[in-house]
Amino acid sequence: MSVIISEPDDDRVPPAVVASVFYSASVSDSLALVVAEMVAGRAGVTWANTGAVELLGYGVDDMRALPVDHLFPSLGGGELKLLLRRERSARMTLPVRTASGAMVQSVVTTTPSPGGRMWTIRIVSTTNEQERALRATADAHERRFSTLTERSPVPTLLSEQGMRLAHVNDAFCSLVGRRAEQLLGTGWIDTVHDEDLEAVIEQVSAALDGEEAEIQARLVREDGGIRTTVIRFAHVFTPGVGAGFVGTIEDITDRLAFEAKLAHQANHDPLTGLPNRTLLAQYVADRFTPGTGGLACLFLDLDNFKVVNDSLGHTAGDELLTEVAARLGSVVRPGDLVARFGGDEFVVVCENVDQAAAVALAERISVELARPVRLGGVDVRPYASVGVTVQTEEHSFAEELIRDCDIAMYQAKAGGKGRITVLDQRAREQARDKLRLVAELRDAIERRDITLLYQPIFSTADGRPVAVESLARWTHPERGPLSPAVFVPLAEESGLIAGLGLLVLDETCRQLAEWDRLMGAAAPPRANVNVSALQLDGNLPSQVAAALERHGLHPSRISIEITESALMKDPDAARELLHQLRDQGVELAIDDFGTGYSSLAYLRHLPVNCLKVDRSFVAELAHGHTEIASAVIALARNLNLSTVAEGVETAEQAAELARLGATYLQGFSLSQPMTGPRTAVWFASQGESTP
Amino acid sequence: MTVTPFPARAEAAPQFDLEKVLSSIDTMAAQRPVAAQIVSVANSDDTSAKVLSRILASDVALASRVMKLANSAYFGMRGRVTSLQFAVTVVGFTTVRTMATVALTELDDESRLPENFWDVTTSLALACSSLAPRFGERPQDALCIGLLAQMGTALLHHNDAEGYAELMAEHHDFTTRRTAELRRYGINSLRLTAVALEQWGFPHSMTSRLNQVDDFTSMEGALLRGAFEVAARLTTEDYDTVPIVRLTCGQLREDDLVPVLDAVRADADELRRAMLGD
Repeated sequence: MSVIISEPDDDRVPPAVVASVFYSASVSDSLALVVAEMVAGRAGVTWANTGAVELLGYGVDDMRALPVDHLFPSLGGGELKLLLRRERSARMTLPVRTASGAMVQSVVTTTPSPGGRMWTIRIVSTTNEQERALRATADAHERRFSTLTERSPVPTLLSEQGMRLAHVNDAFCSLVGRRAEQLLGTGWIDTVHDEDLEAVIEQVSAALDGEEAEIQARLVREDGGIRTTVIRFAHVFTPGVGAGFVGTIEDITDRLAFEAKLAHQANHDPLTGLPNRTLLAQYVADRFTPGTGGLACLFLDLDNFKVVNDSLGHTAGDELLTEVAARLGSVVRPGDLVARFGGDEFVVVCENVDQAAAVALAERISVELARPVRLGGVDVRPYASVGVTVQTEEHSFAEELIRDCDIAMYQAKAGGKGRITVLDQRAREQARDKLRLVAELRDAIERRDITLLYQPIFSTADGRPVAVESLARWTHPERGPLSPAVFVPLAEESGLIAGLGLLVLDETCRQLAEWDRLMGAAAPPRANVNVSALQLDGNLPSQVAAALERHGLHPSRISIEITESALMKDPDAARELLHQLRDQGVELAIDDFGTGYSSLAYLRHLPVNCLKVDRSFVAELAHGHTEIASAVIALARNLNLSTVAEGVETAEQAAELARLGATYLQGFSLSQPMTGPRTAVWFASQGESTP
Repeated sequence: MTVTPFPARAEAAPQFDLEKVLSSIDTMAAQRPVAAQIVSVANSDDTSAKVLSRILASDVALASRVMKLANSAYFGMRGRVTSLQFAVTVVGFTTVRTMATVALTELDDESRLPENFWDVTTSLALACSSLAPRFGERPQDALCIGLLAQMGTALLHHNDAEGYAELMAEHHDFTTRRTAELRRYGINSLRLTAVALEQWGFPHSMTSRLNQVDDFTSMEGALLRGAFEVAARLTTEDYDTVPIVRLTCGQLREDDLVPVLDAVRADADELRRAMLGD
């Protein structure tokens, strides 16, 4: 603080005012004033006010005799001159000696009088001084802060200036594994990962500028370990000092690791550790650019995996899958993706390959997989069927690639096991065509667009029609009539057979009921309904019963036709099923008899009523081969079963079959399949023409 | 027998008027009004980086030094500081004030300084800053004390170049040199610094440290004593080291000095460039 010295202007300040000011100064006890004068080269006190007397404790008279240097013992040598300057005021903080000899730390301000021989000295004890108070407050704040953070589990930084730190707490030290001394100042910068440092400085800048800032940054421990953290910076302003920041650190390493583990689990197969179907789809999608090439997918399906699982147990099955995964990983190129698609299916995705390279890889995989694996003491060779697809311009979406190699794999499997098939353009088109057809078939079944025709079956005894066989027909809106030989296998492959079977069963029953209503006794006595191998499950008897009940029919009005090969898939289950149906009173016939490999001993135990002689044996009759037809018919007769000869196309065949002892005949030459109404008319006319 | 009498002390003593020395500072201030203004406002409680940078902007040389210092390794900002206002924030108000004081007292003109002045000063300042936490001091304030501590030396040299050079040549050790200063000028350089800084309103908490240096029992002076020892070890040839334990009231051991010496050596050049603007 400086005081501007000016000549007292007697003209302007009336003596009364001067006297008033002097009086107030002299009696003030809050203001310590001393006047000193230079006498004979030595400064001595000549006057002191009440405040000075009180502060310093000298008597007024003692005061007047006091040398100034006695008051300021710290000013040795010529230093008193620093305080008592002739041309300007001076200010010093120094101890002042009181009467008792005690020192009072004070701010001393001196103002020389115009003559330069006299000074007014103002003494302000710093005990209550603002600066000290402020500093004490600031110190207290800082102490409070360090006490607060010292034991806090939250790693905390307090800046000093810029990036420089004044404090770090124990939690931060242990987070980075260093001592506080190593971290204070700019030392902590070394703990920030090189790649994150720029961004951290940027956030510190923002915090110093008054913003709240937050950043994810890696901290490098003394031992080289890396912790991923979120650092939050808050702005701190200290008056008279400047801006700083408080940083709090959250260690998110474990949380991230846990999240990564969860993400990994969501995208990986726990058994083999391979990417799963979700990740595969994402991986392919990320790399798929329509209209380009170079991306290839290999779809592998282990042949006979079910056998391993069923015979050696699931643990062995799991072991096999793990081994296959390991082998795949070892044989693919670096950068190729191996994923477990599901069950025993794996997909390999390669980039920048042509078809030849993809096939070469498929071959390498097949060879590698074919090495024996020892499972439960047995050597198993895990052959695989491999479908290969290389991206073409035809592929518009990533998922088409995977779908195509899946199709190729099925084709490989259909062609025999352990094969590699490349899905070429034609095959792809066929596959797409098939997919479309499946969708249309599904719609047709739902809308009951599948219609039934009925072909009469005749008794050889009297030539009268005794039954009809229901035959499903599908007239495609664009392709026209489609053969059951086309759409029935399609329905079987695509899981539509249950719906189709139910439709045929229900519609047949409905039609029988309608005929009964219209024709009474002249209605066809029985209808034969075909059942696919895939319908042979526990639901069939109840479905049949429900259909009969729905339309109020006696069970004997229905004969279920099951192919010989369907029965042989799971003979025990089939036999059980047939018994249930037979117990319901439903008739049973074995279709296409003679084309399968049924054991005759087994046949004997099946509760069937009828064998249907396959049309191929009937056709042979025309060439003079009667052996098989004759044998089947004889067999049936010996087992006390009736026979239906199918595919009778000529009168000669009919005559021959009658001669061989066939019970019933069915064929174009006798009657073509007809619609329900047409069948009614036909049966009515048969009734009229027969006596 | 002829006796050559000792020269009488009165004859040898130079005409040295302490008051004149102090007055010369006022003259300097008048020549650098921007720096003087910064010195007077920097420590006021209502000062802001905005106010300071606005004043600072009119002294291009000083402003560029503040920018340079803000971007120096010492503050760790790696060239991020591009605005003057932000530079003031980064280095802190006390440092800005210190730099203004340096400019004001022409400490930036090496031709007018005692030999080796800035080598010692930068070492002193960085040593103060590095050691400060060990003494419960703010490193930033300590840096500033270190930067300004030798101002008294410069003032003495300025007023008595020849005599002061002689004195320096004779006394390599800072402590004995201060004793010689007191004998020759009636005041030692640190005390002179303290008086001048107090004159300009630097807080007593800063200046009192300067007064306590030569009291070996004073903890308050221990930081600067230790820093002077570091500076001496780094800048004085054939220096006879003094045990640091003794200088710092047992606060430091020799082992503690090793990283400090390294840090000071590493940053000294850059700090010197920032302070001198070259």
